[in-house]
Amino acid sequence: MFRSIYLKSLRDYRVPILGWGLGLGALLATVLIAIPTVFATPAAKAAVVALGSTYAWIAEPIKIDTAGGYATWKYGITILVVVIWPLLAGTGMLRGDEERGSLDVLLSAPRGRVRVALEKLAALWTALLAFGVVVGLLAYAGGAKLNGEVTLGATLAFGLNLALICAVFGSIALFVSQFTQERRTASGLTAAILLVAIVVDMVHRVVPNTVWLSRLSPVYYYNLSKPLVPGYGVNPGAMALLVALTAIFAAAAIWLFARRDVGGVVFQLPSRRASSTRALPTSDWSLRSDYTRSLGTTTTSTLWWTLVIAGLAAWLVVIVKQTETQLRSLLQSSNAFGQVIKLGGGDTATNEAILGALFLFIPILLMAFAVTQANRWSADEEDGLLEIVLSTPQPRLRLILGRFAALATATIFISVVTLAATAIAAAVYGVALDYGNLAAASLSMIPLGLLVAALGYLFAGWLRAAFDTGLLSFLLVIWFFISFVGPSLKLPDATLKLSPFYYYGSPLIHGLPIGDTLVVVVMGAVALALAAFRFTRKDIAV
Amino acid sequence: MTEPMIDVEKLTKSYGGKRGIVDVSFQVPEGEVFGFLGPNGAGKTTTIRVLMALLRADSGSARIAGLDSWNDSIAIKRLIGYVPGEPSLDPNLTGGQILEYFANLRGGVDQAYLKQLIQRLDLDTSRKFRQYSTGNKRKVVLIQAFMHRPRVLILDEPTSGLDPLNQQEFDGMAREAREEGRTVLLSSHVLSEVEKTCTRVAIIRDGSIVRIGGVHELKDIKRYEITIAFAQPVPADAFSKVEGVAEVETLNNGSAVRLAIQGSADAVIKAAARYPVVSLTSYEPSLEDIFLRYYERDGQAPKEAVGV
Repeated sequence: MFRSIYLKSLRDYRVPILGWGLGLGALLATVLIAIPTVFATPAAKAAVVALGSTYAWIAEPIKIDTAGGYATWKYGITILVVVIWPLLAGTGMLRGDEERGSLDVLLSAPRGRVRVALEKLAALWTALLAFGVVVGLLAYAGGAKLNGEVTLGATLAFGLNLALICAVFGSIALFVSQFTQERRTASGLTAAILLVAIVVDMVHRVVPNTVWLSRLSPVYYYNLSKPLVPGYGVNPGAMALLVALTAIFAAAAIWLFARRDVGGVVFQLPSRRASSTRALPTSDWSLRSDYTRSLGTTTTSTLWWTLVIAGLAAWLVVIVKQTETQLRSLLQSSNAFGQVIKLGGGDTATNEAILGALFLFIPILLMAFAVTQANRWSADEEDGLLEIVLSTPQPRLRLILGRFAALATATIFISVVTLAATAIAAAVYGVALDYGNLAAASLSMIPLGLLVAALGYLFAGWLRAAFDTGLLSFLLVIWFFISFVGPSLKLPDATLKLSPFYYYGSPLIHGLPIGDTLVVVVMGAVALALAAFRFTRKDIAV
Repeated sequence: MTEPMIDVEKLTKSYGGKRGIVDVSFQVPEGEVFGFLGPNGAGKTTTIRVLMALLRADSGSARIAGLDSWNDSIAIKRLIGYVPGEPSLDPNLTGGQILEYFANLRGGVDQAYLKQLIQRLDLDTSRKFRQYSTGNKRKVVLIQAFMHRPRVLILDEPTSGLDPLNQQEFDGMAREAREEGRTVLLSSHVLSEVEKTCTRVAIIRDGSIVRIGGVHELKDIKRYEITIAFAQPVPADAFSKVEGVAEVETLNNGSAVRLAIQGSADAVIKAAARYPVVSLTSYEPSLEDIFLRYYERDGQAPKEAVGV
């Protein structure tokens, strides 16, 4: 495996391919396995069809009363998680190596830059294909008992389509990383592009006559192929377009890479220089303590995440009217739907019910933010950044609590701005909402985010940054799966309680569940206490 | 008897099943500049990281100023300035911001002295850490270790990457620290650096201390090489019996010799002067080379070595 850059890179990808492929493949397989339970009676099937329309903004419900249609719709939301690994791989491929200094050594070998980049890219594409095959095979295994409804060809095509959208965002990440000095920044920017792409794709399913806008998103073309849906199949044109996008972004990235400085960026903004080169800065607020330093470090990413989360939340409030109109027409055509949700008349209860369903995404995004911040903590230790900090008279306990406090401050900031943004949007667009419930929905996300962060800090006591982040992401997927799919699968209450989303509840409709919120707070506090206990006793960066 | 400033007693640390250090013991009195020598991977950094409470010892004790390095780490760190072996700092901060940040974390840093150190090492504080060369990165780390005038300096390979001028400045800073009665633990694999700066040394190999003594005792393990090119071939045994010559290698059909010399080169130079010399090159081997030669058999120096 060390005979070429291609094989070495492929070797580096072996754990993620297996982990990511098995995890997400198992998720799809579970959805398929559960179908006989979900479609147990005609009434249940009708309810699912109605539910599918409610959640059309997540994924287009086509032939949702079939196994393939249902699985495709249910799996739609996972695109957000599926793309995370190729995104990180794309930014790490060249920029990550540059940060570590290993690219200098690699480029000292008698190989051109273009060849080095191409071999690494080929390894990523091979890994993604393998990932697609694993997902396809597991999906086929999951659907084996559905009387031939799910064929091997269809599941493999599904895996291929998944690999293609991953390749697109991997290439975009590679492209973006040519413009940033740090891998972390490139990952953040590409994640923002991913979120925007997902939201832009959603628009046409919620707001009429906006397909033109959705066509700007690669996710739209991914969704045009639905190999698992009977009679729908793949859209070769859309798949070809995904291949073309992958190639274009990759080619542009490699072209730029071949022409820029190693360790440099494509455009170097002129840097400000102090009047005296030996001057010391004065009264920089972020340098006063480790807490403020940590806050300063996360400012940019916090602002970006705030923009995305608060922006999305405000947008959801704006579209609640359109959704209400769609739901009303559904109500008229489906009695089953009426049992799922009772519509009022554009009143507060109706709006909160719709927004409550749409709002599901917001705490997940806040928890994803917490994952990135927890990653920063473990990465700092791994990169040796705590070494000199710990040579100062700072107790380890203060250090970890200071960092966590900074993360908590950022989380609270995002939640408060989200509350303000949604409240303003509701007032401006005349959407009637109970502001107490809105505050409950926005602010009770905070314990969820902090729980994820505390778990990340705890895992960092033993795991390297990559594994820590992987485990947290996996937990996020599992929790989401339990809460989103669990009720349909009639999972026992004890299982549903394993997910923190269970304790979040529906605050927009029912207000703040004080007891459940306290459960999350206590879980977070215990995780943080254990993390602090471990950190005060462990060997640093071993 | 006065308590040593640094007191390491039977310190043992392993990484899972892998060797770290085994029963390491040494004492450094207050005011001494103590060298900690050893080849790469010998256990220098592990010992230092235990002293800095970054690692927890499996057994034994490490004390600074009478305080336990793990249990009293905060009190100890008020006394210490530290240069890690592989320093890593926030790449997005400028050198000045990094120094201000650590000054705030420590408290009580004399700004005038800090500026003096910046001038002395000629550091451009306006550049981001990532934009610094290796040597400039090292300067930032050195300044943060010295800026609060610590009673104890623990320096792990402090001059790695510094140019000769700045190495000289560092030598001066270490000398001043000694004159002011501060204690320095200097880890290095550069023999000449330790010779210039330290009064005593400990030599560590494979995780264990193999020798502790005055710096002058290094002379009996110090060996360097001289390559002499002649205008014509010289007799094969012309240098083999010369005082201080440990090894002779004939090159270019006898018209050049490479000599391994221990101690003074005076006799060698006089012997070479009997023949027409074209060039003479002297090379000081790294300590690692010396270790390879002198400690390849359980720490016993080869018998041919001639003490000077």
